[in-house]
Amino acid sequence: MSWAGFKKSVNRAGTTLLQKTGQIERTVDREFADEEAKYRIFEKECQALQKDSKAYWDAIKAMTAAQSRIAETLETFYGAADRSSDGAMAGHAYKRSVDDLDTTFSRELDVPFRTTISEPLGKMCAYYPVINEHIAKRNKKLLDYDSARSKLRKLIDKPSEDPTKLPKAQQEHDECKEMFDMLNDQLIAELPQLLDLRVPYFDPSFEAMIRMQAKFAEEGYEKLSGVQRYFADNVRDDYAAGQLDAQVEGILQEMRELSICGGN
Amino acid sequence: MKGIGKALARTPFAVTSKIGMSKKSADPEFDDYQRHFTSMEKAAEALIKDTKAFTDAVMTLFMSEANFAQHFVVIFQPIAGEYDLMGKHPDAASTIRNVTKYEAAMAEMKEVITPEVELIETRIAGPAKELQAVMKLIRKTITKRDHKLTDYDRFNNSLTKLRDKKDKSLSDEKNLFKLEQDFEIATNEYEYINNALKQDFPRFMMLSTQFIDPLFNSFFYMQLNIYYLLLEKLNSFADDCKYDISNQPGTQIVEEYEGKRTDAWSLIENLGIVKRIVSVSRLVQQSRAQNQTLGRQTSTSALGSTSPALRAAPPPARSISSASSFKKTAPPPPSSSSSLAPPPYSATSSVASSASSAAATKRAPPPPPPLKPKPKAAPQIKYVVALYDFAAQTDGDLSFNAGDRIELVEKTDSAEDWWTGRVNGAQGVFPGKVVWC
Repeated sequence: MSWAGFKKSVNRAGTTLLQKTGQIERTVDREFADEEAKYRIFEKECQALQKDSKAYWDAIKAMTAAQSRIAETLETFYGAADRSSDGAMAGHAYKRSVDDLDTTFSRELDVPFRTTISEPLGKMCAYYPVINEHIAKRNKKLLDYDSARSKLRKLIDKPSEDPTKLPKAQQEHDECKEMFDMLNDQLIAELPQLLDLRVPYFDPSFEAMIRMQAKFAEEGYEKLSGVQRYFADNVRDDYAAGQLDAQVEGILQEMRELSICGGN
Repeated sequence: MKGIGKALARTPFAVTSKIGMSKKSADPEFDDYQRHFTSMEKAAEALIKDTKAFTDAVMTLFMSEANFAQHFVVIFQPIAGEYDLMGKHPDAASTIRNVTKYEAAMAEMKEVITPEVELIETRIAGPAKELQAVMKLIRKTITKRDHKLTDYDRFNNSLTKLRDKKDKSLSDEKNLFKLEQDFEIATNEYEYINNALKQDFPRFMMLSTQFIDPLFNSFFYMQLNIYYLLLEKLNSFADDCKYDISNQPGTQIVEEYEGKRTDAWSLIENLGIVKRIVSVSRLVQQSRAQNQTLGRQTSTSALGSTSPALRAAPPPARSISSASSFKKTAPPPPSSSSSLAPPPYSATSSVASSASSAAATKRAPPPPPPLKPKPKAAPQIKYVVALYDFAAQTDGDLSFNAGDRIELVEKTDSAEDWWTGRVNGAQGVFPGKVVWC
């Protein structure tokens, strides 16, 4: 921090203290406070959106990656006894279709997701630090203005011996006021614009999101359902009737009955 | 205690066999099975891990989907004291109308998916864990077999050594007898367990394949069901809210998105508050310079409203009012813009979009600059462009065709009002929202 910056921050700290103790009057600007509150909501929501959209995309990736690994594991299991069984064939078809899904998603959805969701959100979220800087600057200038005003008022109430003091204080007051007003008015004018523009800004993302979700579901469903052809005819009904679970249980029981599992 | 004794007895042999001093017998058949079994153990572990990864991913997917919807709704609903978003942004009306339904659909989906995920946990991960437990038992048997093998080798080695000894002492003879007995027991035990393993391993492998079949089938249907539920829900939502979600290539989604992207992007970019502050005092100087050109209109509102324009171009060169400077940021009139890349509202010529361009005129020039305080010093003639045909409805109305340039005689700062204008020599009033200014 430069020396001038340091001096400023010390002075402002003093002003804040005096305001807290009621020595210096604090400017209350309802208009700005309202706009800032709205802006804060918007900022928070956008940041949450950015986080969630990333989580969503990562989850899609993780989901297909897990499916891919599961398919590999299945091949190990089928490799244990008979590589050419129907089950092994189905397992192989499953592997092919999940791999296909994985590449389809990265090929078909990666760019759209980035263009329609990540980038608009990222761009908006990148504006916030700058806007916050504007707000911080405005708050600092407000402190300067408050302090200059109280100085001026004191001089008017109790004129000093030095006749040069009053015009100097007046000038300082005017300068501070000008700076503050400029920043403040800009924020008051533009924050609502920004908030208003959010609607057309994010509007096209909504439909794109829905379409991508639908695409994800549809591709997933279509690619996977093709594997069913390799299943025995009764499998679907067995699954629905809970037969498959019973089979799994039965085999586990048989395994436990093996002499090598007796722990003897 | 017995275990420790055994372990101690086996240690010297483990050391000597490692350094090659004593013979270690091997059973290739068993080793082969064991190799298989080890890979199965790894597979079972991987299955459990990946199933977990899968269910976690599915949960996060639906969770983040629901959260996304939830936050999206907030953005498309009035924030504290805003009103009539739909009226202000007729283009986004369908989004505004449907976000709440979307949120509900996503939240519902999260509810629907939870039992599915639980099903995977109990029906897939559960049995897989039990399989792992069975495998642990088998692993224990293998360890036992290894110990028995060690015993067998150990006694075998000592026995051979003792037998080969030339002159045996009395105690050696006694030991020999004892060793022979031990060796026999060790042989029997080892043979028994080794044979049992060799006999049961193929059976176990068979069973594992049989085990994986129904498990895989169930898992497959569960996965399929997740996609199905998602698809179903989205379809019904899209039907309800008139969205076209037919499966199209991703590039098309991008293209259509780009097509709908409005000038909101550039408008936001042109705002003063999204630009870094370099120095406040320089800004003040600039705004002073600006004010001087404005004929010393030092009202605070002028200060604030001119500042975005400040940064767009060097201010002193400009002599027009602050209000008109906003036209730079607004999209160009329809006729000239059909080839521009990020199309503003008015790019296409269909009826629907001309309605939307009317909306753009309402929105595009950012609201706050008060248009009223037009500097009297510069009574410039202002033209506006008609967006569509307008036929006089009563006396005093001004008729014109789309694309006509209308000379503005009088206007208010609200496009909802009627303005006065002159075209083709005739003067009359017309609704402010049918023109582009």
